[in-house]
Amino acid sequence: MRTYILRRLLQIVPTVLGITFVVFLMMRSVPGDPVVSLLGDAYTEEDAIKARAEFGLDKPIVVQYVIWLGKLVRGDWGASILTGRPVLQDVMIRLPVTLELIMLSMAVALVIAIPAGIIGALRQNTWADYSATTVAMIGVSIPEFFIGVLLLLVFSIGLGGFLPSSGWVYLPGTCPTMVCGSSLWGNVTHVLMPAFALGVGRAALLTRLLRASMLEVIRTEYVTTARAKGLAERPVVFKHALKNALIPTVTVMGLQVGFLIGGAIVVETLFAMPGLGTFGIDAIIARDYQQVQGFALITALAFVVINLLVDLTYTFLDPRIRYS
Amino acid sequence: MRSPRLALGTVASLAVAIVLAGVTTAGAQKRGGTLRVAYGNEIAGLDFHVTPGYEMVWVATNIGCGLIGMTPEGKFVPDAAESWTISPDGLLYTFKLRKNVLFHDGTKVDAAAVKFTIERIMDPATRSSMRSFMDSVQSVEVLDPHTVQIRLKQPYAFMLHMLAAYRMGLVLASPAATQKYPPEDRRAGKPEAVVGCGPFRLVEWVKGAHLVMDRFDKYYEPGLPYLDRVMIRTIKDPVTQMAAFKAGEIDFIADFSADHVDTLRAQNPRAQIMTGKETTPMVAMMKVTVPADGKPPMAKERKPHAIFNDVRVRKAVGCYGIDRKEIVKIAFKGSATPWVGIIPPGTLDSVDVTHMCPYDPARAKALLAEAGYGPQRPLTFELMTNTEKSVFNVIATVIKEQMARIGVTANIRLVDKVSWMNVATQDGPFDMYVEDLASLLTVDQNTYLSASTASWNSTRHIDPKVDEYYVRYAREMDPVKRKAIAREFQEFSADKLYWNMISGSPFYQVAQPWMKDYVYQAEFKVLYKKVWLDR
Repeated sequence: MRTYILRRLLQIVPTVLGITFVVFLMMRSVPGDPVVSLLGDAYTEEDAIKARAEFGLDKPIVVQYVIWLGKLVRGDWGASILTGRPVLQDVMIRLPVTLELIMLSMAVALVIAIPAGIIGALRQNTWADYSATTVAMIGVSIPEFFIGVLLLLVFSIGLGGFLPSSGWVYLPGTCPTMVCGSSLWGNVTHVLMPAFALGVGRAALLTRLLRASMLEVIRTEYVTTARAKGLAERPVVFKHALKNALIPTVTVMGLQVGFLIGGAIVVETLFAMPGLGTFGIDAIIARDYQQVQGFALITALAFVVINLLVDLTYTFLDPRIRYS
Repeated sequence: MRSPRLALGTVASLAVAIVLAGVTTAGAQKRGGTLRVAYGNEIAGLDFHVTPGYEMVWVATNIGCGLIGMTPEGKFVPDAAESWTISPDGLLYTFKLRKNVLFHDGTKVDAAAVKFTIERIMDPATRSSMRSFMDSVQSVEVLDPHTVQIRLKQPYAFMLHMLAAYRMGLVLASPAATQKYPPEDRRAGKPEAVVGCGPFRLVEWVKGAHLVMDRFDKYYEPGLPYLDRVMIRTIKDPVTQMAAFKAGEIDFIADFSADHVDTLRAQNPRAQIMTGKETTPMVAMMKVTVPADGKPPMAKERKPHAIFNDVRVRKAVGCYGIDRKEIVKIAFKGSATPWVGIIPPGTLDSVDVTHMCPYDPARAKALLAEAGYGPQRPLTFELMTNTEKSVFNVIATVIKEQMARIGVTANIRLVDKVSWMNVATQDGPFDMYVEDLASLLTVDQNTYLSASTASWNSTRHIDPKVDEYYVRYAREMDPVKRKAIAREFQEFSADKLYWNMISGSPFYQVAQPWMKDYVYQAEFKVLYKKVWLDR
């Protein structure tokens, strides 16, 4: 097991480097560079040439990447071309917001998907199944921003500010800046709508997946045997059937992290949250190459680490699975 | 020697149709509280002399102080300078400074600080966006610790306008802090490096999260500011802005989308919705020349643009072929002013020459035929616009439809803001673009966007007559003669169409009913010094 984890951790390095290199190339291929934004009204071609040289943007792309990598190895994530702010510092300020959003949206998805998927499978072709399937279809079909706007209209505008529309309040003791709000209740009220907007689409997908897995598992021989031995329905479903049916669901959950990060860009922008999603999209729009690299690096790391954790949970769900 | 007529003239640009529920309430001001502000765009950085963007300007004018200020009525008022004189030849400006003005780092605002600031702006290495406005300055002399004299190379009628309100005006920099900290620290918003002499001091800027300013207790005006703190957040989505406003989470929206004003008004009948004369031009620029050899960008050797170098085509498309009233009706729900010329309707010395470009498709077709375009040789051009504001795309779409009516095909190319900026500034390929450009206080301020030598002269016209008009206008000290030059210039502009305006671009700010004594000054100034909260 330890060897397996070590091997997977080592695999992270080329994966992340590959991703950052591809992102590096893609950003340099997009028209426009950050120098025009940097100089603004004062733009002159002469100053632009000087600024490009100053930031090393006149060097060949591969050389630029090697320079970035060299700094990264020394723990230097670089500084924003536009603001001069250290990228790592900004990433660390924003990471907790997005992590909490993603975890809670996944929790929202599971809270909806597990009972709906089980009911759908156990009551196949009944009104309960049709309802779960229909809701799942609707959930998959509605984009995050639309659900978010609906939530805003109902809970912030319609109910006179019942839930805050925007911003962020940190969990007590986690405020990363000099000035910020921190309280448990404030945090919960701020994350509720964004997590629901982001999680409901995943819930729909996981419901359909879990229903299909459950249908397959409850028809297997070992489940029939368990029932024949006189086990009550609840342990049959939850102890025997669900654990096995969850394996493909957990796999998809890990893969969904990428979609959640993408969805976080939309949801964080809508709810004006100071998370990594808004950081990433602002950086891309402004062609702030250093910030884009920081965003790509942290999201790639998050994605591969979470998928490693997902793989490790297989051993809990199915003890027959052993890594060596 | 202040020019009252000039100041009065500015009424035209800044006199506002303010819809203020909370008007001035002398003596009733309450101290304390936090003003919660929403900006629609991120602050780009905090080096006041260098960083672009209105959001930065709206911070700079609260953290910084200048020599003089300007009221919405166009009257120049003292700031760090308590008085000033102008020599009869208009070449010497002498400012007497107050003795009790301090920078936030505790150092004194004196004549040396003024000299240091102006010289910093004029230094090409600083890359200040204010530098081009300082072209007339020959030298700055410290006469004594509290008297500073600015000598000009030639008379400049807009020296005071420039010092007071071009972009953020002259924002004084603490020599001690500026020399101690590198430019990167100011850009990054390190509070020790961003030192002004205004009513608020910077506490913290976390990009993407918030900017916090606290009252500067040693501000020179006793009792001001009233607020303890101003907290600025960026909320980009207008729907979220409205939700936050409705829920009372924010007190003030510094730049509200014109598309959503009616909805916000319906949801919040007591909201103070402020707007005024349009000082920002909405343009449909046509490229006039291109680099002679196709590269490099900005090449001095030019050749005519294949389509729009021909003034007949420019006029057919940009003058008679565009129905400005229809655009305003569709894109702005009628809230903007259809306009032709080189400056928008709310700018000082603006003259209405819109009658020179009546919508006349038949005339447009005739001009196109004269230029060799018609069914046998249809005209097709690329119409670029960007995603910054939805209204740009709406206008581009309406223009496309109007072009079809005169047998012209306009292919819309939608790009993001940075791509547009690159194309516009770097001589990139486009035939026409739709955008709203900078807010303009005076005709003179437009020099950096439209003189033939300007980097932002995105149409790349090479007509020196435009430059001559700007020079004549800026050096003419008689307001009546200056107004006549402005008229002549705007007629010339409408005739040549190097600069093709569609309309003004309305600007809105929104405040809660409890936010008192805020004075609307369009994009030029957003000042919280006298604001107080009556909650």
